[in-house]
Amino acid sequence: MSSTKETFSQISPSEFFYRNRDLAGFSNPTRSLYTSVREFAENALDACDQRGILPDIHLSIKAIDPEQPDPKQYILTVKDNGPGIESKHVPLAFGMVLYGSKFGLKQARGMFGLGATMAILYGQITTNKPVTVKSNTDGKMQDEFVLLLDIQKNKPIILKHTTKESTKSGLSVSIVLEGDYSKAGTKIRDYVSQTSLITPYASITFEDPTGEKFHYPRIVKEMPPPPTIIRPHPHGIDVETIRRMIVDTHYQIPTVDNKMIVKVRSELGLQKKNLNPKGILDRAEKRWSNLSRPVRTVIAMMSFLNLDFDGLSKIRIDDLDIANKKLTYWNFGESQSHAIELDPESPYYKQLANTVQGDTLHSFLTKRFQRVGPTTADKFAEFAKFKPEKRIGGMTNEELVRLSDALQKFEEFLSPDPSCLAPLGEEPLSKGIMKFFNPEFAAVIQRSASAYSGFPFIIEMGIAYGGDIPPKGIQVYRFANRIPLLYDEGSDVVLKVVNELDWTRYKVKGETPLVIVSHICSTRIPYKTVGKENVADRPELEREIKNALQYLARKLALHMSRQGMADMAKKRANLYSKYIPLIAQFATELSEKKKEPNYKQLIKKGSEFEEQQI
Amino acid sequence: MKNNKSKATKTAELKKEKVLTLLQNHGLTMYNDLDQGKFPQFSIPSRSVGNIVYDKKLRQYILGNASALRSSKNMSQLRSFTQLAWLAFFANKLVREGKSSTLRDIYYSSQAFAIDFEDQPESDNIIVDLEAILASAREDFHIFPEERSSVFGDLTIEYTVSGYEGKRMNLSDHPDGYLIGPSLSSAELVDTSADLVIAIEKGGLFTRFVEEKVHKKFKAVIVDTAGQAPRSTRYLLRRLNGELGLPVVILADGDVYGEHIAMVIKSGSANAAHLRELTVPDAKWLGVWATDIEKYKLPTIPMTESDIKRIYELQKDPRYQEGNWKKQLEVFLKLKRKAELEAFSKYGLTNITDKYLPEKLELAKSL
Repeated sequence: MSSTKETFSQISPSEFFYRNRDLAGFSNPTRSLYTSVREFAENALDACDQRGILPDIHLSIKAIDPEQPDPKQYILTVKDNGPGIESKHVPLAFGMVLYGSKFGLKQARGMFGLGATMAILYGQITTNKPVTVKSNTDGKMQDEFVLLLDIQKNKPIILKHTTKESTKSGLSVSIVLEGDYSKAGTKIRDYVSQTSLITPYASITFEDPTGEKFHYPRIVKEMPPPPTIIRPHPHGIDVETIRRMIVDTHYQIPTVDNKMIVKVRSELGLQKKNLNPKGILDRAEKRWSNLSRPVRTVIAMMSFLNLDFDGLSKIRIDDLDIANKKLTYWNFGESQSHAIELDPESPYYKQLANTVQGDTLHSFLTKRFQRVGPTTADKFAEFAKFKPEKRIGGMTNEELVRLSDALQKFEEFLSPDPSCLAPLGEEPLSKGIMKFFNPEFAAVIQRSASAYSGFPFIIEMGIAYGGDIPPKGIQVYRFANRIPLLYDEGSDVVLKVVNELDWTRYKVKGETPLVIVSHICSTRIPYKTVGKENVADRPELEREIKNALQYLARKLALHMSRQGMADMAKKRANLYSKYIPLIAQFATELSEKKKEPNYKQLIKKGSEFEEQQI
Repeated sequence: MKNNKSKATKTAELKKEKVLTLLQNHGLTMYNDLDQGKFPQFSIPSRSVGNIVYDKKLRQYILGNASALRSSKNMSQLRSFTQLAWLAFFANKLVREGKSSTLRDIYYSSQAFAIDFEDQPESDNIIVDLEAILASAREDFHIFPEERSSVFGDLTIEYTVSGYEGKRMNLSDHPDGYLIGPSLSSAELVDTSADLVIAIEKGGLFTRFVEEKVHKKFKAVIVDTAGQAPRSTRYLLRRLNGELGLPVVILADGDVYGEHIAMVIKSGSANAAHLRELTVPDAKWLGVWATDIEKYKLPTIPMTESDIKRIYELQKDPRYQEGNWKKQLEVFLKLKRKAELEAFSKYGLTNITDKYLPEKLELAKSL
């Protein structure tokens, strides 16, 4: 009887993404070309933002063989004037999936630096051509790498690495990929132009495959303040995150191997000398404040086991059971397990207990979370029915779940720290809108920070009316973390709020020339899909958007009524110049006069009279 | 020959002169205002309900003393002021050139100028404004209504309209009757053998009356009012009564509207309260009365909601507060049924002329 054998094997992250590229927006040549432009452009802008450099971004797409029909191979090049990437990080940054610098908690366009690598991966699998990366970090030397990705091993393969002198710092990435510009062109051009609207401090040029150049000059010279990396907010935490934070916090019992013994010896200054256990402890006591934490832990164990360095090399610590005050170890020499009682009175007991059980709840809260002070920590402990001095390392699963629940429910935490957010600011937004739409009227608002599930967010919104805006009804330009959102607008929360507003109350009806610009800034935008194109309708988000929109709509209505009055006056003045000459004509004929009366002054009077009325 | 103008022609010329002078004076006032940098304005007698009063002496509705100012200074009035000035200008032209026009005509003529009447009701309204300002009927400035009624009988007239001056015509020569239009309205009433004018609401009955030679049997001039009598018809009735001394009797349907047709001929309508000389205060309403319905056992049809509503309305009118007018309304309201003139046909086509009319005429003598 034959049997099929199921095999289990691990796949690399690159392989995973290769197999699931649809998820990341690389489903077809059209979408892939667009996504690639986005990913590289956003990385470039992020890099400049983080260093406070006014961005200068150059994008170009060139067909390898322009004669061929779409889809075909294109060279996509994105160049910036950012800080560049240090030579040693380049291969991993561009040749390995899930390697990046964006994992901290602050607002950035990309979350994990995944997209760029995905684009490279996509280019490689559709054209089998490598990526070329040129990086200059110091304004002196430029490193050029030609790389391929080893998909199965998730490792870069460096085909070429050269250096040459160059005066301009920055990064240039060039990939070859299969794309369909005839279909993606509109979206890409929209993306570039809308990016210039929400990034008015950037200068962006885009050269498309037909050779047409789109240049968006810098509108404002000041950069908005950069965001800072911050600790998480208690509301934004789940059980798994807490577990990870605890592992980070507490010190594992060090593995006592030869390397550790060398470390202990060197910290005690006993590289060569051996002392008896008491001698070692005396020595340790003298140098205690200079000892590292793992070494202190080892010393503590030596004190309970009464060991010297030789003895230390013959045992393995198996378990430290603080609850029962028991230490279990394995003696290699005897091939036997021993357990000893720990004396809680011993000065070394606390050292061991802390090591295993980690921080107290109180210090865990104050040290690891944002905006939690000692008072709040105590109040929370009382709310969660934990003792503040409870060691988080010793918590059972049930206790962790209870802790996580309580962190969510406790309402006295301060709202999340918005310093990790980087809104554009009212003035740059307003300038961008004025330049971009040349409207007759515009207003902007930046709401104060709010939060959903522990993630802070800020809504910025602008409204523009008339001028060069075509009368096509309300057009909504959506942005999230300075990224234009172009696809799937139907199900977006901003669209929902805009559509639900009773615009007639604000004197907006029919085909009004109206533009709404919405910018959501958050450490985590609640996107509905992986493609990052539409934002889910969280109630907190919806409320803030609605408040911002209503404020702007009121401003618009005010303008409209002023405008309406001005129009009316103009129309009235026109009425005088229309009707008075007619009256004069009729009066002249009726009265059989030869020439018309001097009625000009009346037209003037009429319009003055009207102006007074306004 | 020049001094040998007929009386009718002289009357017509006087009337024309009067209208033209009025128009010119208004033109002059506007002209001077404009020239002196003043916004011209018209004072229009108010036609609002509050300003319409019943004058018992004149036995018609007249306007009270209230008047409204229409100023070219006021933005909301500038347009209608201009329309009014245009109408004065246009009427002046019509009268001067001896041309006549209709309400509909005015609406379209305005479009040659930048006078934008939104619809005909708007232009009709301006015409009434001008009537009120000049205290003259629109017919005086040659604007006539669309609806035409007719007249038949031994009546000789002499035209005064251009091209027909001095021409005479007897109104019994054509059995369908003669249209009461601008020429007839302005013609001189020269001679008649009639003793009486019978105004009848319906064209069908008018034809029957001619066929049955009512004009001979009763020595009557027969006038078809075609429903509510137009002004030109009322004006003719007044002239027949006033100039030729003929008593006027009225036959209308046996319902509240018929009763009111008679009342309007007799004492005018609130709508024309700004005008005089359109009434025949001594006209008599012969029927069909509500009491006739029972008396003559006429076939009836039930009243509609609006019929009944109209009765309640008229009961508030000062002219319906006494006598037969009041009584008939009450009976109508009690019956809640009505009878048309044609109802007499149940008893034969000539029943109305053979039986009803003589009886009612006899009765009218005592009214």
